[in-house]
Amino acid sequence: MSHDTWQEQLRRGTLDLAILLTVSEGPRYGLAIIQHLDAFTDLVVTEGTIYPILGRLTREGLLEAEWVEGEASHPRKYYRLTRLGAKRLADMKGAWRAFAEKIDRLVDAADLARAARRGNT
Amino acid sequence: MTLSEIGQARVHGYLFVLRQSLKTFLPPETVSDAVREIESHLRERVDAAAPVPDERAALEKILNELGPPLRVAQAYSAERTIDEAVTTGRFVPILRAIWQLAVTTIAGFFTALGLFVGYITSFAFLALAALKPIFPNNVGVQYVRGYPVGLGAHFPLSPDTDLRGGYWVIPIAVFCGLGILVGTQRGARAFLRRWRERHRS
Repeated sequence: MSHDTWQEQLRRGTLDLAILLTVSEGPRYGLAIIQHLDAFTDLVVTEGTIYPILGRLTREGLLEAEWVEGEASHPRKYYRLTRLGAKRLADMKGAWRAFAEKIDRLVDAADLARAARRGNT
Repeated sequence: MTLSEIGQARVHGYLFVLRQSLKTFLPPETVSDAVREIESHLRERVDAAAPVPDERAALEKILNELGPPLRVAQAYSAERTIDEAVTTGRFVPILRAIWQLAVTTIAGFFTALGLFVGYITSFAFLALAALKPIFPNNVGVQYVRGYPVGLGAHFPLSPDTDLRGGYWVIPIAVFCGLGILVGTQRGARAFLRRWRERHRS
């Protein structure tokens, strides 16, 4: 697996979590979600492909969507986290922190071992 | 930025292609909702853009960032039709997903062609197993002038055809039919899984 493919898989695997985190702060419409993700991450490569993910998360009952008219010159579709979505997000956050912590420990151990080897030579 | 008539036409063209692509695999109300949301995104981006002399370049930049309509449609497909097929592994959703890829992509067309041959072959074997008890004299190994030329059902038998094979044809046909069906189904699911991973966002 190439470095690019690995990064791509990592990006795709974390996109659901990033979207749920973005919406957990309050209801947001599609473009606002994309802009928020852009401000903090480089997870959005093609803007239009975020909408199908929002649709899937809605079908899975993690988000609920509502069209709002009159707020701008065009209607906006707002997404908010459901109770099920909040529960899933809490699970995902816990799993992510545990996962990241373990990988960090592994990286630190490898770095320490390499430094020790250099010290011995 | 306020779009000129040419700019408006470009946006309508984009949405038209997206709608036509989505129509091949999504129900009408879902297509309308998806197109409405993408249109809302475009209007929002256009409204937020500062007026520039080169409207065309500014609009193309917005459309490029959104992604080509076929790419967006493929992402919808990966998240919906193909997702259902891969996660459930059921026969009908897999057929629907394969059909949708076959009519929208070249790779999908040739893969569907191969899978179609697999499904037809498996059904042919299973049909032979079902027909053998009903037409025992018409189902079996066909010999022409003493040489075996094929396994199948023949209605009516031609005078120079010799059909051999007892009821042992049934378990062999069932074994081959189910084996090819399971293999084809697994191949279809693996193909759809790879496709979904490649075309999700």
